[in-house]
This record gives sequence, C-alpha cells and structure tokens, in this order.
Amino acid sequence: MKKIGTGLCLSGLLLMSAWLTGCSNDAESSTEDGGNTTKEEVVEIKLGYYSSGSADEKVEELIQKFEEAHPNIDVTTQNAPYQQFFQKLDTQIAGNNAPDVWLSDGVLVQKYAERGAAKDLTEWIESDLNQDDYYGLDFNKGSDGKYYAVPQGIQIGALFYNKDMFDAAGVDYPDESWTWEQLKEAGAKLTLDGQDRTADDSEFDKKSVKQYGLTFFNITEGWMPVLKSFGGGVLDEDLKESLIDSEENKEAMNWIVDGMERGILTDPSDLQSFQSPMSPFPSGTAAMRIGIYARVLAANETGINYDVSVLPKGPNGDRFAPVIANSWIVNENSSDEKAEAAWEWVKYWVTEDEVQKEWAELGEAVPVKKSVANSDLFLNSGEQSINKQAFLDSFEFAGTLDTNAVWSEWLQKFNENADQVFLGETSVEDALKQADEEVQKVLDDFYE
Amino acid sequence: MFVPLLSALLNSLKSYKEYTSVPIQWIPNPFQWQNYIEVWKMTAMDTYALNSLIVTVLSVIGALLSCSMVGYAFARLQFPFKRSLFVMVLGTLMIPPVVMIIPQFIIFKHLGFLDTLVPLWIMEWLAQPFGVFLMRQAFLAIPKEFDEAAKLDGCTPFQTYWRVYLPMCKPQLATLTIFTFMTKWNEIMAPVIYLSSEDKFTLPIGILSMSGAWFGQEQYLVAAALMSLLPILLVFLFTEKYFVRGASSSGLK
Repeated sequence: MKKIGTGLCLSGLLLMSAWLTGCSNDAESSTEDGGNTTKEEVVEIKLGYYSSGSADEKVEELIQKFEEAHPNIDVTTQNAPYQQFFQKLDTQIAGNNAPDVWLSDGVLVQKYAERGAAKDLTEWIESDLNQDDYYGLDFNKGSDGKYYAVPQGIQIGALFYNKDMFDAAGVDYPDESWTWEQLKEAGAKLTLDGQDRTADDSEFDKKSVKQYGLTFFNITEGWMPVLKSFGGGVLDEDLKESLIDSEENKEAMNWIVDGMERGILTDPSDLQSFQSPMSPFPSGTAAMRIGIYARVLAANETGINYDVSVLPKGPNGDRFAPVIANSWIVNENSSDEKAEAAWEWVKYWVTEDEVQKEWAELGEAVPVKKSVANSDLFLNSGEQSINKQAFLDSFEFAGTLDTNAVWSEWLQKFNENADQVFLGETSVEDALKQADEEVQKVLDDFYE
Repeated sequence: MFVPLLSALLNSLKSYKEYTSVPIQWIPNPFQWQNYIEVWKMTAMDTYALNSLIVTVLSVIGALLSCSMVGYAFARLQFPFKRSLFVMVLGTLMIPPVVMIIPQFIIFKHLGFLDTLVPLWIMEWLAQPFGVFLMRQAFLAIPKEFDEAAKLDGCTPFQTYWRVYLPMCKPQLATLTIFTFMTKWNEIMAPVIYLSSEDKFTLPIGILSMSGAWFGQEQYLVAAALMSLLPILLVFLFTEKYFVRGASSSGLK
C-alpha cells in the first residue's frame, strides 16, 4: 500500500511537470511566430495532405526544395491517414483553424467550394498558368464556371487485362475497337469454374467461379463508366437534377446484371470473399479490371503479366473514362498574405518540371503537366513496360464522377440501390426509380 | 477468439502476392519474418509507441485518481445537491462524443494545446462519468462500519478514502485501468484531430498512415496492428490477478 502511495505521488509530480513543460513550450513557440512575421517578413503557411504511404517522404522533400527556392515562405505540414484527414479537416474548418493550403481528393473539391471553404483561384490561374499546358484543370471547374482547385496528380480509368490469362484462353487482347458487348463475350471465355469450364459452357457452375472475366468494384471502377458510355449517367449538366431513371441507364444496368448473373463479373458478395475488394486483379483471379492509374502499383507488386487499353465503347460508340483530379485547395479564410504564399506552392507544384518529374517517378498518378506526362519519364517508367499512352489517350473522352457538393451523400443512396440489383434482390426498373427519388431528395435538400 | 488472431498472425507473415491469393493460402511460404522489420523501417514506430505510452499512462493515472475521488465523494460524503449532481454526471454519458468534438477543439485551440499530447490525456483527469459511476458503486458496496472505525481512529475524510476504502477497491481499479488503457491505446479520432506534426503521432495514426489512399500492402498493416496489441495483453496479464483475488474478497475480510 505504501508503494502504491509513493507511486501515485511520483506520477502526480510527473504530470505536473508535463503540464508545465507543455505550457511553456507553447508560450515560446507563439512568441516565435509573432517575432518572425514582423521582423523578417517570413510568411508561415500550413499545408495539409493525406498520407499515401511511402509518398509522404517525397512530399516533405519537395516542400524543403520549395522553401529553399522561396526563403520568405516557411511551410509547416500536417498529415493524417486518408479517412481521418478529412474528418480532421471538417473539424478544423468549423474551428477556423484549417491549413492554408491542403490536398483534397478530387471528388471532394466541390464540397469545399460550394460550402465556401475553398478560395476562388480563377484569376490566379488565368494570369499565372497557361491552361493548355495542364491536364485536368477543367475537371475541378464548379458549375459556376470558376476554378477552386489545381490538380496535384490525376487518376484516370482504363482497362487493365492479364496477358497470360488471355493467352491461355486464346482470346485476342482488347483494343480501342472493343464495345462492352465484346468485352462480355471475351469475358465469358475468360471465366472459369472449379472444373475449368468457361461461362459459355452449358454445364458452367457459377457458384464455384475460380477466375472472373472482369472484376467490378464500386463507382469509378464499376458502374459509372458503363452507365456513361451507354449514354446514361447520374446527374444533369448543372449537377442539380437526377437523370437516373432513363432508358440508357436501364440498358447499362441490364448489361451489368446479366454479366453478374452469368458469373463473368464479380458481384458485391463475390468481392467479400477476397481479403480486399481490390485484390482480384493483382492476385490473378480476374482477367480484366476497370482501373485508375494508381492500380499499376499493386499490379506491379504481385508481378502479373498485364497491360492496359482504353475502356470499351457503348452501343452508340460513346466512350467514357472516369477522372479524379486530386487537387490543391487554398483556404478561403487565410489572410491575403498567406493565400498568396499558398498559391506560390501550388504554382511551384504544377509548373516546375523537376517537381513533376520527381512525383511522376513515384508512379502514383498521371502528372498534371502535359509535357512531363508525354515524356519518356512517365510513358516508359516503371518495372513493366505497359501501354501508358492509353491513359493519356483517355483524356479525350474523360469526365468526372458527377461530383458536386453532396457527392458523398448521393453516392451512398445510389450505391444502396445498385447493390440490391447486383445482389438480385430487386429489379433494375424498381431500383433505378427508387435511386432517382432518393438522389433527387439529397440534391433538393442542399440546393433549395 | 483464437482463430482470427492466428489468421492475422499468418497474414502478417505473407508477401502481398500470397496475401491476395485466391483460394486463400493459409500458410505463408516462406514465412516473411522481415515484414516486422520492414514495418519498423517504414515508419517511426518507436516514436509513435512512446507517444502512445505517454498518453495512455497519464490517462490511466488520471482516471484512477479523479474517478475514485469523485466516486468516493458521491458514495460516502454528504453535501448539498448530491443526488442531482450525480444525475447530471450520469446524464453526460448520454451525449454522443461526436457532438463534443468541435467545441472541445475550439477550447483546446484557445488553451494552446493543439499539436501537443495534452488534449489526449487531460480529459481523463477530469473524472469521466463511466469511471465515476463504477467507483461509486464500488464504494457503496463497502459497509459503513469501516467509515465509523476510521473516524474513531482519527482519520480525516481524505485519509479514510486513501487508506481504508481505496485498497478495498482493487478489482474496480483494475477494471478501470484496463478499460482506460484500451480506449486510449486504440483511440484514433482525437489524436488525428489534435495532432499535426508527425513526431507527436500515436500508434493508431502511424499504422493507418502506412496504408495510404491507393496502395495497401496490407500485410504490413496486420503486422503493425499485431505489435500494437502486445501492451494491452501485458496490462491485462498484470491486472488479472486483482480481478480474481478481488472478486472473492471484497467486503469484510
């Protein structure tokens, strides 16, 4: 008992000292802040980004180079894991303590823009950037025609295919003449059950599929490209009206459901049998996937023999490649001085070849600067020589995921209904009608 | 309980290719023990672990002291509005933590505690309602003859609490220790919101940061998560005997 007593006293002391040092540290740093800005006119900015594993080091390195090039700007960073980063950001915005410049997932840019957290960058972009030199500026344009963000790196969708599996099945590799129908025909030959029968075989057992034709996951790498290339989609041009309940969408959904029923496409319950829903393609369990650029990392990691092609055409010859332009956003509430320093960083990121090259070497995203993206450094980099030109060609028919201020909310409603169709619990007609109503309600609640 | 743990252990020893393979390959071949070394190389696990330890230990001490004191007061002392105050304490249990995030954030911002470890443990020193309730029930269960005997021996109320009552509540203190330790050790939301510099990160953020937005290499995550489980097991082993002994000897000896 005596021991516990002394232990507690000691820890009490420890606590006191921790408290005191905590306070004094803080006091020191705040006087330092004040001193710097007035005397040497150094602008301090806070930069926030979400972690992407090993890429963090590279970001820090680039920031150091930036500071060397701009001695009057001092950058402090804050990062967090992807999901938590955005929770934190929302709290910080509410507490008026958000970073002066932060990296936003492309799909969330409009959320910050329409809620007044992102600064309108239109004038700066028009005066400082030659817009033709960059990919993806327009993907962040709000429906009001203004720019609220500048891309940091671009994710664009293409068709990944496993060459070994195509060879084994004796199927020709995909090319740009493919339609979704052809993809399904080839997929049927590439789908195998436990006894190695293909999906074309009348004996085919779809309960024991061991190799899928196409793995199908969620919005970007699932239904959105199909819906759009069939002429459908989710929202109208202004992104305020739902277009879900249309003939084109019905046709597209029927194509998907038919593929899932025949076992050629993975349905949501199939994906659950994998360690991760991303793993069927890199593990060599699916012959094809719709994949954004970053998926080359996992495919290279497992060492499968694969290549990429542009996504197939719809019945009317329309094509669609989904795009997510992850972007830098400048805080609307930062002082003019800080906002300008933040803009220097954004400009540095997109204009400097050096930065673009170093970032491209990581192989996480398509570079924003066209000259770098079209150089050898991007096209012929990486462990495997794959047709990266397919990603660049896809920009001609690329589009966003109908992202607006309530993207996350409407997506949830759509997915709930889509999943019910994919699992065979309801009909395509009913689900589209239901999704249309629910999505429209989300839009009306926000915009009216 | 054993099977998930075993499967996690096996997963942590696989290469990414084996990790994603279908059908599931249960036994890694070869065992990738270097995954554990890689984890240490990939991130500053030691810094994160130290930060987690500071936060957790300070929280546990704070919870034990504050909750037992407040609990003792509610159970044994007489003061005005005791009942309604206790109802208020219990009432705060019903406020979902999410709604308190933004006000707390603003308060800590004005106190200058952002990007320090202080917000992560200071709340535990202010007597969390669950602990208060737990300790109050423990003190209530002790016959008040002890109280009278202590008074006759000339103890002040504090001495009675410290020397007589507290030692009799070891099982509840052990429960509170494990409970606080586990919550604080695994907590992710508050550290993410309050910490910005990497050298202040706690283990859960560190582990999640490894995964990134695009590229999983989940086998490393599993390895890191398993390593972070160890301290919880240790605390449990150390406090376990108090559970057993306490359960049989509470009340009159």
